[in-house]
Amino acid sequence: MRADELKQAEHAIQIAKAAGADDVVATVSQSRDVTFEYRDGALEKVKDTTSQGLSIQVYADGRFSNHQTTDLKPQRLKSFVAEAVAITKALEPDEFRQITPPELFEGRPDIDLDLVDPNVAKISREQRLAWCEAIDAIATDHQKVISATAGVYDGTYGSTTVSSNGFSGSRESTYCWYGSEITLRDQGDKRAEDSFYVGSPHIETLPDAATVADTALQRVLSRLNSEKGPTVKTTMVVDSRAASSLIGRLLGPANARRVQQGQSYWSELVGKKAFSDKLTIIDDPLIKRGFASRHFDDEGIAAKVMPVVESGVVKNLYVDTYYGRKAGLAPTTGSPSNRRVGTGSMSLQALLADVGSGVYVTSWLGGNADNTTGDFSLGIRGHMIENGQIGRPVGEMNVTGNLRDLFSRLEMTGNDVYPYSSTLSPSLVFSGVDFSGV
Amino acid sequence: MSIKRREFLGTVAAGSAIVTMPGFLSGCGIQSATALSTATPENPFMDWFGVDQPTVARVMSELTSRGADTADLYFQHSRNNSLVLEDGIVSNANSGIQQGVGLRVVIGEQTGYAFTEDLTLPSMLAAARTASAIASGGRVVAPQQFNPLATGNLYTTTVPWADVGVEQKLPVMKYIEKQAKSKDPAIEKVAVYWADGDERVMIATLDGKLVTDHRPMARVTVVVTARKGEETQTGYSNIAAREEFSWFSEDRLSVMVDEAVDRTLIQFEARRPPAGEMPVILAAGASGILLHEAIGHGMEADFNRKGTSIYSDMIGKKVAEPFVTVVDQADIPRERGALNYDDEGNKAGRTVMVENGILKSYLHDQISAKQYGLKATGSGRRESYQYAPMPRMSCTFMEDGPHTKEEIIASVDRGIICETYTNGQVQIGAGDYTFYVKNGWLVENGKVTAPIKDVNIIGNGPESLKRITMVANDARLDTGGWTCGKNGQSVPVSQGIPTVLVSNMTVGGENAS
Repeated sequence: MRADELKQAEHAIQIAKAAGADDVVATVSQSRDVTFEYRDGALEKVKDTTSQGLSIQVYADGRFSNHQTTDLKPQRLKSFVAEAVAITKALEPDEFRQITPPELFEGRPDIDLDLVDPNVAKISREQRLAWCEAIDAIATDHQKVISATAGVYDGTYGSTTVSSNGFSGSRESTYCWYGSEITLRDQGDKRAEDSFYVGSPHIETLPDAATVADTALQRVLSRLNSEKGPTVKTTMVVDSRAASSLIGRLLGPANARRVQQGQSYWSELVGKKAFSDKLTIIDDPLIKRGFASRHFDDEGIAAKVMPVVESGVVKNLYVDTYYGRKAGLAPTTGSPSNRRVGTGSMSLQALLADVGSGVYVTSWLGGNADNTTGDFSLGIRGHMIENGQIGRPVGEMNVTGNLRDLFSRLEMTGNDVYPYSSTLSPSLVFSGVDFSGV
Repeated sequence: MSIKRREFLGTVAAGSAIVTMPGFLSGCGIQSATALSTATPENPFMDWFGVDQPTVARVMSELTSRGADTADLYFQHSRNNSLVLEDGIVSNANSGIQQGVGLRVVIGEQTGYAFTEDLTLPSMLAAARTASAIASGGRVVAPQQFNPLATGNLYTTTVPWADVGVEQKLPVMKYIEKQAKSKDPAIEKVAVYWADGDERVMIATLDGKLVTDHRPMARVTVVVTARKGEETQTGYSNIAAREEFSWFSEDRLSVMVDEAVDRTLIQFEARRPPAGEMPVILAAGASGILLHEAIGHGMEADFNRKGTSIYSDMIGKKVAEPFVTVVDQADIPRERGALNYDDEGNKAGRTVMVENGILKSYLHDQISAKQYGLKATGSGRRESYQYAPMPRMSCTFMEDGPHTKEEIIASVDRGIICETYTNGQVQIGAGDYTFYVKNGWLVENGKVTAPIKDVNIIGNGPESLKRITMVANDARLDTGGWTCGKNGQSVPVSQGIPTVLVSNMTVGGENAS
């Protein structure tokens, strides 16, 4: 337990109770974040910051509200908390607003999630510069390069949460990311651009900086001479990096809040076969070194592995305690952790060969989805799939449909999980997708 | 913070910038700070932050001890409140206080940055030393006295939001809900989201300026969910401005409620348009999102000084028909994107980006202005004291043209009208940009025929500018609560446009062959 944070959180609870709160949850957090950005042979930006914050959730007279501040001076804290309680009492009572029941705290796993690398706090200026220089050397090594920025981002985070009904818990994590964003001269005034970054809680697991820069450069080079592709209904292969965000969109309204508010196409799906057999999504907070791993969630609910979709059948939604009570659903967790998407046996190359022709999507550009209906329309960049291989680069196209329908036409999944996201997805293959282009 | 950065790096494409309506993506009683010494009585902002001229001078001196072209201290205190009405009751409130000082040193294109939330002298000096580490030259002469500039009057309020209690806001939220529910029996749920805030900013610069600004902001959103048979549809509307409580009149709220209800109910009849290229009519107002994405971001001078924007070599060139003039203007009273001074302490004003079809000026902060040998356009903005400023838009719009809305609709054989939007995004170098159309109309043989919904539109910035073939005389700014995101920083913006015809864009649709 982080002693100073614990003391401050307990103190905030005392003040709030003295000011008339019935129940209180307090979190104190601290972070340090360092940014090094290096462009075209020189250090361009150095940012080194430490930050602190307190948040409290107040329950009083059947009412609820939550508040945050960065000003932790004792005399300020007192008036901040008193005002938080006063605001709470000015709201309307709501029988569903209750502090998390202690039984949901029980069973908290105690496995080591390995989220802290002590070496991150010791990264030197020289080390950051060395990574920047290694990235810059590779990222600028092409005659078409207009500009390349190397970035190193690292930091530490810690927080402690205490509740007036018996919860206490701390979080600690470190992170280190580096990579490059590169712009190349293309036809006319156009520039081709892309980026590639890698990150982990642990420095030792990161690929070598030069390799990362080379991946970024190869990605941009593949974008040169991109043109608008055809308006066509065809097969779509989504690469694993782009698949992470598509899975995020699919799950956007898969929660009790959206369901209770009548704004979710997941409303009637629990227990039903709603998607293709190929779709499995597991929420897994217990992955070692996972970006969203945790022992307990935002409400203090003990972390557990939760299937969301298994072989196309919806098993669970994200249910927090408040909207769960309102909707008559048992709480699971209201906030996603890591999501593991079921994999297949084929590599991306094998998937493309199997597909033969279609569109290979490597990134999205804008677009949105309607949470209520699942209707979506997204801008894309990628390549045509020609003779089972990656063909000419295309862009300035849209893909349009309905998310539930799209994921019922998930034909194959790859074995190539993208590791630099909390959503761990392989490449995905969908049939009969509407593309608009020329 | 760390989570935000991980996800940002993991999912957002390079060189891209976005604009969104928050929440629709598939996402005070303050006393003076710790007294260090006697605050200067003539400056309430000094008092507010608990600092005085000698303290600021001392920190500036430390900040520039290793050299600087530009340096600034950005003191900020912001307080935000929000309330949620769902299922007929207001049972959730949130308030947030953020206070700190950001310290910046600039040498050429190099920036050193640090911030502290502890406004004591030792803590500020430590942050100053951290920020100054980027430089390696000799001490520059820092001012001993900072000269206060006249405060702006674009959004003066009589009652600060800190003095408006929850009990005053509740009846307004209830009124909105009641109005919306009464409009149609198909309406099952109405949610109302209230947000207000006061921000106090004090900027001390190396050239001896002291700029202060009190920035109010308010936004109210209504979300309507309706059901007909097995089908459910959701729609919304919102209004936002640098305004005070009295601005939320019944008339203004009624317009918002009607929009939300209309936008929801029309979706029961709306379909997807056919996929592919076609003429696109942009309705006056919120369609200014086209300008924000197709040209605005590409004209931000940080991208141009680096050569990474598609507009990098186009100043002075013809980019559109002579009736196209595109402006970014911060000094429009009370607009969401309005600013008296930018976040580098420069007077914010009007920048003509495209004048009569000719590309005229980028949006400059001090770094780019120095590089181009120009005066900064007052476009340096930041999300908070936690970030270094960069060139950003404020209120971006197109001026009136020679045509009429009726002429424009009559000229289209087969195309669409875009009316409401949720978000947009642009790829700075390639120039490809998109915006998501929530509601619109099909146009056939010069007539509006059927409603459409949920289509993404994609185009290329310079190509779209060339394809603006008609501009009507009905320009207006949208009153919606737009937020622009760039390099992980969000700032409030406004946008507007008259009715415009773009002769060819790619429309996301169904039934591709």
